[in-house]
Amino acid sequence: MRKLHLILLLGLICLCYGCTLGQQWSENYTGLPNVKANDPAIIDGDLETIGQSQRKKGSGSVVTDLALPSEAIIFLPEKKAIYRVVIHSSNLEEFELMAMNSRGEWDKVYDRRSNKEPVIDIRLGKVVRTTGIKVVVRRTTDDAARKRENVQLRRENVETGDGQRRRGRYHYYVTGPTTALAKIAEIELYGYASDRNSAF
Amino acid sequence: MGSATAPDRCLELQRNERALRKLRTDREKSMKYRTGFLHTIGLKLSITLMLLAAGLVLNGCTALQEAQQRREKRILEARDANLLMLKPSAATIRVAENAPPGKQYGESDHYTLTFAEDLYAHEEFDEVEERKVFTRSALGYMESLYEAMNELFGFQPKHKIHVTLHHVFQGTTLAAVTRTNYRRDYPHGQLVKFITGIEMDFPIQMYERHGVRAHELTHAFTNIYFLPTWFSEGIAVLIQTEYTKGGSHPKFESLKEYLRIDLDGENALENWGGHLDSGPMTHWRYRYAYTLVSELREKYGNALYIKLFQLMEADGLHRKLEGKMPTSFLVYYLSQAAEEDLVPFFEELQFNVRKLKKTDILQAIEAQAVRGMNP
Repeated sequence: MRKLHLILLLGLICLCYGCTLGQQWSENYTGLPNVKANDPAIIDGDLETIGQSQRKKGSGSVVTDLALPSEAIIFLPEKKAIYRVVIHSSNLEEFELMAMNSRGEWDKVYDRRSNKEPVIDIRLGKVVRTTGIKVVVRRTTDDAARKRENVQLRRENVETGDGQRRRGRYHYYVTGPTTALAKIAEIELYGYASDRNSAF
Repeated sequence: MGSATAPDRCLELQRNERALRKLRTDREKSMKYRTGFLHTIGLKLSITLMLLAAGLVLNGCTALQEAQQRREKRILEARDANLLMLKPSAATIRVAENAPPGKQYGESDHYTLTFAEDLYAHEEFDEVEERKVFTRSALGYMESLYEAMNELFGFQPKHKIHVTLHHVFQGTTLAAVTRTNYRRDYPHGQLVKFITGIEMDFPIQMYERHGVRAHELTHAFTNIYFLPTWFSEGIAVLIQTEYTKGGSHPKFESLKEYLRIDLDGENALENWGGHLDSGPMTHWRYRYAYTLVSELREKYGNALYIKLFQLMEADGLHRKLEGKMPTSFLVYYLSQAAEEDLVPFFEELQFNVRKLKKTDILQAIEAQAVRGMNP
């Protein structure tokens, strides 16, 4: 009976040890050599430098491209198993997190609708094995100010037949993008410490 | 003889029995040997077959793995080719946080950064901390871009690039400009142009566009060769569009179909004055110059322009010519880089070009020197 208790205790200790091991995060993968980003400030390990998401290449038409989101992209030199993503951003409000799959396409792995935290710590529901992570910016807290700056309501006066000018209708003039770019100080990607050396 | 005795018969029976026994033993031995032989052969065959199967399976796995690796490599290459991705730079960045408007605020290995007075009033730059963070971030990005461009072109300008950020520049928020300043000198009575500095001016709205940064940095790299405007803009839009994927001037489907000629009957690209020469033809000029430069790159490969700059650098004749480089001069070096005479190609597009030899260029430089001495 005593032996059984001892074995159970030993098993429990092993289980706890295993769990503790599993909870240890790997090093930040964005700090590894040859990691690239569309703005290197988001992976330089310095919270004092702030990168920006970049607008996707549009059609060239202001009206068509108004709704285009901006993106912050990170490419890893080899496949990594990612469980946790930490984003340091002062204005990111609504966004999607996407991972590149083995066919080179982007799959959505997480989304958030109303963020108010400057440090967004995301634990992914399941392991994501990928060579690329992308934050698609849907809304920032600076959007309203940017819209005020670049969308103006102006009255267009018209000339009448007798050479007089009369007050015309109001028109919206768009002089630039109506959404702001996300300011991202850093994006960190983690797996489990035990997965550090295993790509698959 | 027919009457054999009983002991004789007994002996004969015994002999027969012995012979029979021997025969049986021999047969058994032979059977045993044959079975053993067959068994050994079978075993060997099985082992060989098993080894063969294992080999095939292993070989199959290796081939499969190799195929998978090749596929992953292809996907990574396609991934990297679609976007301009940069590595963080290790450049040193210094910030002078108390610098007044219009004075140098930050400096890195290849740049200086200045905020124009109108930007100090901008909501996002009116505090020291905002300017400090922006300066460190912007110079970090530009240094990474500089390294990427250096890798792409194989050369870099010797001078630091002085970047000034404005809210509004020259009355607009939509035009960024790069100027390469130079002085003329006459060592041994011959003109030589020396670069004295490179300046970039961005309205902040244009600086936000990564494609525009790459476009202007391309100018900073290539303007040291005093290129014709159409070629300089064409190559800048090429980098902006095909390398950084941030272009806003789509390529024409055909150079011949979209050709426009001026009143002298020449291609309307040839006398383009650049940024300051804006008008209804501006958009066409950017698009056509880009299409032309891109078509040459497609035909003669990615190394064409690297080779072109190497050839020009080796001769150094671009520094000895008065004013901007004539298109014929450029076509001379382009032909060398492409290893094919490109004069007919440019003539077909209504460029006013003639086939030059190096002696023609040297004579023109010599004549310049003579004119300089006897004005």
